[in-house]
This record gives sequence, structure tokens and C-alpha cells, in this order.
Amino acid sequence: MQLNFAGREITIKLVYYGPALSGKTTNLRALHELTADDSHGRLMTLETRDDRTLFFDMLPLLFRAGDAPRKPGDRSYTPVDPTMGMSLRIKVFTVPGQVLHGATRRLVLQGADGVAFIADSQLTETENNAASFLDLRSNLKELNVSVKEMPIVIQFNKRDLPNIRTDEEIKKLAQQGREPVFRASALTGEGVIESFFGLLNLTWSKLEAEHQLSRIIGIEPQEFVPVAARKMGIKREVSVMLQSCLGGNLQYKPVEKA
Amino acid sequence: MNEAKPTDAIATIDIDATLRLEDLVDREALVELCDSFFTLFGIPVRVLSKDGTLLADATREQEVCGYINTFASGRAACGATVGAVKIKDPDEEGTLIHPCFSGLQYRIVAIDYEARRIGRFILGPYLPAEVSDVPSSLLDIDEAVDREKAKSLLFKVPRAKPETVQRVARHLKAALDLILFSGHKTLLTSQMHLVSVRESFRELTERQNRLQEAYDRLRELDRLKSNFLATVSHELRTPLTSIIGYGEMLAEGIAGPLNDEQKEFVGTIREKGEQLLQLIQSLLDMSKLESGTMSVRKEKIRLEDVLSEVVKTLTPNARKKGVVLRLECDASLPGLRADPERLRQVFINLGDNAIKFTPSGGTVTYRATPLEQGRVGRESDFGFALLAPSRSQLEVRVIDTGIGIPLAEREKVFDPFYQVDSSSTREYGGTGLGLSIVKRLVEAHDGTIHVEEGSPRGAVFVVTLPVAGSAEAG
Repeated sequence: MQLNFAGREITIKLVYYGPALSGKTTNLRALHELTADDSHGRLMTLETRDDRTLFFDMLPLLFRAGDAPRKPGDRSYTPVDPTMGMSLRIKVFTVPGQVLHGATRRLVLQGADGVAFIADSQLTETENNAASFLDLRSNLKELNVSVKEMPIVIQFNKRDLPNIRTDEEIKKLAQQGREPVFRASALTGEGVIESFFGLLNLTWSKLEAEHQLSRIIGIEPQEFVPVAARKMGIKREVSVMLQSCLGGNLQYKPVEKA
Repeated sequence: MNEAKPTDAIATIDIDATLRLEDLVDREALVELCDSFFTLFGIPVRVLSKDGTLLADATREQEVCGYINTFASGRAACGATVGAVKIKDPDEEGTLIHPCFSGLQYRIVAIDYEARRIGRFILGPYLPAEVSDVPSSLLDIDEAVDREKAKSLLFKVPRAKPETVQRVARHLKAALDLILFSGHKTLLTSQMHLVSVRESFRELTERQNRLQEAYDRLRELDRLKSNFLATVSHELRTPLTSIIGYGEMLAEGIAGPLNDEQKEFVGTIREKGEQLLQLIQSLLDMSKLESGTMSVRKEKIRLEDVLSEVVKTLTPNARKKGVVLRLECDASLPGLRADPERLRQVFINLGDNAIKFTPSGGTVTYRATPLEQGRVGRESDFGFALLAPSRSQLEVRVIDTGIGIPLAEREKVFDPFYQVDSSSTREYGGTGLGLSIVKRLVEAHDGTIHVEEGSPRGAVFVVTLPVAGSAEAG
């Protein structure tokens, strides 16, 4: 997270991680497609000739927050300047999934506030998913970040394909795990927005817990994600969308340090 | 060798760094773009960076402005207007219209990228379509202003409806946006390229250091092993020499006469003792070769002398086995720089082997020939045309008519302790050290050794050695 008081902006960095060809770029394309035009910049893709991501894809989501209506006399928070609000920049990146781009993955992962792990639902990809998650963990470790401290949501993508892990299995796994789990078919856009807001919710709850961002922005803590959704042109209620989460914790819980 | 300096910190890149308009666009190309807009619509265009630096300017002084500038007060007013236009920054809305006292107008439009203000462009001056007469503010600058002249000049300025100017602004903004996006993408790509390479390099350096450490550790272990082998061989040899010596004394009857059976037993003890000594000697040679402490004393020698001595040494052995030993030396053999003792060891070993594997009635032949100049090495070798003429080698073939060596085994026979037939009941004895020592000794002379198939059967060991004075003779 970068906070620029002079420029009145907050930048949050979200990274879509996962094995090669699991649909990270497709998620970003869908996100670009499904959000209001005035809330995002161009989707930048740095890809090779065969459509594989070379360095990263980047989608900037840009809107102003902090001009949410307040009840008169409400003193529960003290915005820096209640009339101005802050401009919020959420930069969503993907990493290149191919094993050989390890160095690039680490570079893109630097300074990430939250990670969406895009897993391939096909049973044949089970090993690749696990290997990629271990790769994420070791890269975070190299960057001196514990995987426990990083807000991570897991998306099981490609639900439209045959020979996939069943909903029941995923649900069972999700309920035993720590990370919130979503299902998606990024190609059709299904589940993409839900996963994104699951990640934004989790990441926001961590940033809020650590930096009291709501005071800086001038917004009620619980209002942030719904405001973001409205600004991005999402008609559905965030709370309803988050119900599609199959398990795990959507609120950040600080890790007890030994 | 220059050691690469290890970079210990992980490379960093600020993907969300604040961008500057002047870094994203090529100034000359920007000027061309502004020129083309000016040519197309007749409205002057100026592009300024965020801090007000003029980056591109496509404009021509209007005649009316020239006229106004002939009056001192007009010059002052004009300067004030232009100054104001240059410093005004449009607010959130992104567009600002600034009127001139002459009735002309400027439109100032913000250039934003990713919701950040990075510069602005100014369209104008142009004459708003609705202006039908010279405004009093223009006439007021000086009493001497000629109304008719001012009017005719004013109306020469390109006229534009607000929608038209807005459309031009939108087009320019779209064109700039595309350029900025492409520029940003290229900037990020090149930065990522650079940083990725640096990061990969860091990773490789780290890995290389770990490998180097492991390699050093292994080398140390290897050295310890060779030392151990050398020490043990030496320690084994000392008591063995005594055993053989006392055996000899017994056989000579120094301690009293022996009967035939006792003589035979003592003979066996001596023979086996000698065998054991030879084995230990081989181990010692091997460890010396491995630890690099074997000294090769090169001197000028004649190969014929070495080979005839070898044949002389091996003749009794061959005769016992019923094998014919032949030596064929080319009359024009050049001289060598080599260690005669070591070469003898090489050819005795090869001959010994050949005799061992050749059945009674067969032959073992030493054939020494000089290699034709320019025929040494393969055509595909690098620098062949330069190196071949300076290379001069000779070749010794040790040809037997024995059982031969299967193709798949021909490389492996030179590995230490390797036996083609490694079963415990194998027909032919030996430690399996001989050929590996031979190979190392040949290599210590900058030569090569390989095995070929005999004709019609048997094996041929081919040794090549550089001739004295040739480029590769050490």
C-alpha cells in the first residue's frame, strides 16, 4: 500500500498468482469487462507472441472514495478533509505462471497487499496448483513476508470444464482451510467479481486493522468495500456476493507472533 | 577469471512510480502530432508538462496579435493573457476556457494518466463563432486602434464553434492517451526486462556460490581420499617388501636347504607377493595421478627405443603363452618429448593386456607410424585450418587377435576398476586399474587413446602422441 497525502491518493496492490494457464489474465480481462468504464484504465498486457504472459498484466482501478454520505454530527472518525475524499487506485497484477519466470514473479509480488490464487479446477492440475502455491510461499519468504500475514483468497477456476474437482470436495476443503475459497469460470466472467471483492474485503480488513485507513480516507470502515463496488458499477450487494465464498475467513485475523 | 560480484539484495522495481509526461512521449514526435492538428484544424496547439515546461508548440502569430503588439499597452495586455494561459491548470473537470481581451479564446485541457494529472495542452487562440464585432476591450487598449483594421484582422483568425473546439480537444486527448499508454507499456517492459535480468542474475549467482561451495567440499574430500590411498599403499608396501625379500632369501637357501615342495610353496608366496606389490604400485600411481603429484619428466627420446625395450621385456611372457610378438616401426618416425619410463609403463601395460586376451597361436603387434600433417583432428574442429598444419603427431597401434571389446564397453575400459567381465568367476585376472592409469599417463603427455575393432577380430588400442616441437607438445 502506498499512501500519498500530498497527491491525496492511496494505492493498493493486488496480485493474481497461480500456475501457468490457470486463467489469471482471463480473470483480469473479465474484471475489465465487468466494471464501469470510468472506474478503470486500460488493461495492460505484456505478453509473448503465443499469448502467454511475459512479465505481468496490469489493470488499474481508479476512483474517488471518501465522499460517502455521513450522518450529521457523526464523530466516529476524523477524515483528513471530509470535503475532498481520496482518490483510490487499486492496481491488479498477474504474474507469469510458467516456472521459468520465477524472478519476474518475485518482482511483481513485491509490495503486494493481497493475493488471489487462481487454481485450475481440473484434477490433472492438482500437482501444479500445489507446486505454484509452494512457489508463492517461497517467493514471499524471499521478500521477507510470511504467507500467514498475506491476505490470500483461492479461486478454483475453469468450473465449466469436465474432469474437475467437485463442488462438494472443494467445499469440504474450503471449510477446513484458512483462505476464503471461490469458484469461477473466468472465460464467461462467472465468479470473477465475487473473487475480487472477497480479496478486496480481506485485504481492506488487514489494511484497516494496521493503518486505520478509513480515518484517512474519511469513510466508515464497513462502507469501503460497498462504496468501491458502487464506484466500479457493480449492481449486486457486496454482502450477497460474498456469500458465494465456500469457506475460510473473509476478515483478516492478525497472526499471533510467538 | 573475474569473479562476478554477488548481489545480495533482491532487485526492486516500482511499478506504480509517478510518471512524467516528458518521460513517456518523444518530444519530436509530439511536435509533429501538434503540427498535424494545427494543419488540420487551424487552431494552434501547445503541450505543457505538469510543471509548465513547454514540450511542443504548433502555432503561428496571428496578424491581429501582431497589430495589437504594435501598441505598448497592447503588448502588456497580450503578455499578461499569454502568461495567465500558460500557468492555469484546469481543475477536476479537466477543461478551462480562458478569454483574451481581443475576443479570442484559449481552451486549456488537462492531460491525465491513470487518474493522475501529468500535464495539459492549450488550444488557441481561436475566434469563437458567436463573436460578430470587435469587442470594446480590444478597442480600449489604445485610442489609436483602427476599428476597421482590427476587425478585418480579427476575422482572419480561425473561427470555431465551441463543439468544434471540444471535438478537436477530444481527438487530441485520445491520441495523447494512446501515446501515453504505449509509452508506459514500453517503459514498464524495458524496466521489467532489466530488473528481471538482474534478479535472475542474482538468483544464479547465489546458486553458483552454493554449487561452488559443494564442489570445493567434494574436491577436499577427493584430496583426502587420494592422500589416504597413497598413505595406505605406502604402508602396505613396506611390510610386503620384507615378505618378498625374506621369501627370496628362503628360496636361495640362505636359511638352509629346502626340499622341492618347500621351494614350490616359497615360489608361490613370492609370485603372489610380487602380484600384490604390483597392485599396490598401481594404486599408488593412480592416487598420484589423481592428486596430480605424479611427475612426468619429459626429455627428447626415440619411440623405437622405447618400443623395442618393451617388446624385449614382454617376449618371455608371450612365448610362454604361445603368442607371437611383433614390432613394426616406420623408418621416418620423428622424435618425441616424453618421459621414457612412463611411456614404457603405458606400452607394457597395453602389451600385457593384449597377450592376456589373445589365445595361443595369435599375434600381438606394435605398429608405430607418423601421422600425416593436416590429417590430425577432425575437420569440424574449431580453427582447423590454422591449427592442423602446426599439429604433428605419431600413432602407436597395439593390435591383438584376441576376443575383442564390445562397442558399448570401449569407453568404459578406461574407467578405474572397470572390468568388461566383472563376474567373480571371470577368466582373466587384474585390478582394472591398468588402463585408467595408461589413459592418464597418455593424457599427461597431451596424447589420446581409444579402442578400435581389430580385423578380422581382436582389439586395437590406438595411442597418439604429439611430436617434439609441434604446437601441442608441452
